[in-house]
Amino acid sequence: MIKLSHVNKRYPNGHEALKDVSFDLASGEMAFLAGHSGAGKSTLFKLITRIEKPTSGQIIVDSQNLSRLKPSKVPALRREIGVIFQDHKLLFDRSVFDNVALPLIVIGMPHDEIKKRVRAALGKVGLAGKEKQLPITLSGGEQQRVGIARAVINRPNILLADEPTGNLDESLSNEIIDIFSDFNRVGVTVLIATHDLRQVERLGKRTLQLHDGELVHDGELVDTPKNDSSNEEASL
Amino acid sequence: MSAYFSRHLQVLFSTLGSMRRTPMATINTLLVIAITLLLPSLLYVTLKSAQSLSSNWQGRPQISIFLQKNSSDSTAQLIFEEIQLHPSIELAEFITPDQALAEYRLLSDNNASLQQELAFLGENPLPASIVVMPDRASAKPEKLLALKEELSTFDGIESVRLDLDWTERFNAMLQVFSRVSVLLSALLGLGLVLIVGNTIKLLIFNRRDEIEITKLVGGTDTFVRRPFLYYGALFGFLGACISLGFLLLAANLVEEPVSKLAELYKVNALVHQVSPLEIIAVLLIGTLLGWLAARWSVAMHLREIQPR
Repeated sequence: MIKLSHVNKRYPNGHEALKDVSFDLASGEMAFLAGHSGAGKSTLFKLITRIEKPTSGQIIVDSQNLSRLKPSKVPALRREIGVIFQDHKLLFDRSVFDNVALPLIVIGMPHDEIKKRVRAALGKVGLAGKEKQLPITLSGGEQQRVGIARAVINRPNILLADEPTGNLDESLSNEIIDIFSDFNRVGVTVLIATHDLRQVERLGKRTLQLHDGELVHDGELVDTPKNDSSNEEASL
Repeated sequence: MSAYFSRHLQVLFSTLGSMRRTPMATINTLLVIAITLLLPSLLYVTLKSAQSLSSNWQGRPQISIFLQKNSSDSTAQLIFEEIQLHPSIELAEFITPDQALAEYRLLSDNNASLQQELAFLGENPLPASIVVMPDRASAKPEKLLALKEELSTFDGIESVRLDLDWTERFNAMLQVFSRVSVLLSALLGLGLVLIVGNTIKLLIFNRRDEIEITKLVGGTDTFVRRPFLYYGALFGFLGACISLGFLLLAANLVEEPVSKLAELYKVNALVHQVSPLEIIAVLLIGTLLGWLAARWSVAMHLREIQPR
């Protein structure tokens, strides 16, 4: 579903975010992407959603070669991928309903259908009845869940989550990761970037570990790597 | 198809809604557009009124026909009758040499030297003449010239004088005025595009987050662009509506003084009444210019905004 071959990404300022990264995530697989801040997790997501282009190497998403993807095909690619952002990326002047409905509005779905789907999605993330509220009136965890509802509303084949449990307590983190597991169980390919190793250990899924832009581990984590949070600010 | 329309309708209403949420900014923009559109419309109405004045001129040009000095009274009478029957001539008046002299005396009665010269000549030097007024259909310069040529060929006619100066000058002035109006209107149209374009640019940057997020969830460029095009077209349309209101108000305000002025000059002057077709034209031009401005602005600035 997501296949990277020898992908390098160097930003114009010279920073090498990814160095020769290769992996293959099969359809319906669920994996974690671990690594310190600045290890290249966000860059990887930006490459998969075609926000950035790799400096070299090949990325294939849903059997489309992203280096050959025409700009006009980018929206279609992004509709296949539900993304949960670390900073939520919600529209703060729009209601929860409008935020969650956005991916359906852009594909021109009839309003009645949108209503049904938004209700269902909000119910799934435990925000039923909060449609009319503005995101600013919600807690951080609730805002995160609005983002999740928006990411899954269009039933994407791929879910990417960037630090979805960022500053949530343990029980809330478990809840959110379990939501992703649920989607994975119905066939959605899920990739979760996190440095929350409790979750990685708890689910025991395949883990791709990045360190300074290099893929240093691919598979189930056996050993908890040391010094993971000590060099948080290291490379950014 | 109906989904397509309902999508457009949705954008239309949401655009109107966001205009209403910022009433002061919207009204400001609309007034600027209205005034920019008003100036060309006013020029147009003035031009149209002046043109109707020139074609409805009551004091139509007169043609003075001077008969040969030696022609007898009976020949003169014959020529007069012939001219009276001419299809292009509405009114003809015969002026005998004595009448002409009396009129001349009357007009020059303050000028002693002219009186003296006249007395010195002894006999009446003035010929008999016929003053004719062509009918309305023949009152155009080229027709008058043709009529003049025709009359000159008559036997017993010494010369024909046609005073075309007033129409020629007036029409020449109108032509200059019309050229200047067109130029000015084009400049104002350009100004309008720049104003609306800049307003749209500000809107685009104000909605930067929304555009980024919309692109992130798979919104196409067409989708992202649409509300701004509606903004432009609506600005143009609503601005044109206000402008038409101003125009009717202005026409009302000048109507009375114009008719007073017309009465003094014994002309049938009317302020040009704006027709439904012209109203539609103004609305269309406003909408089109607003849309074009938005199109241009969007092409310039929307590409700069990409998800980060």
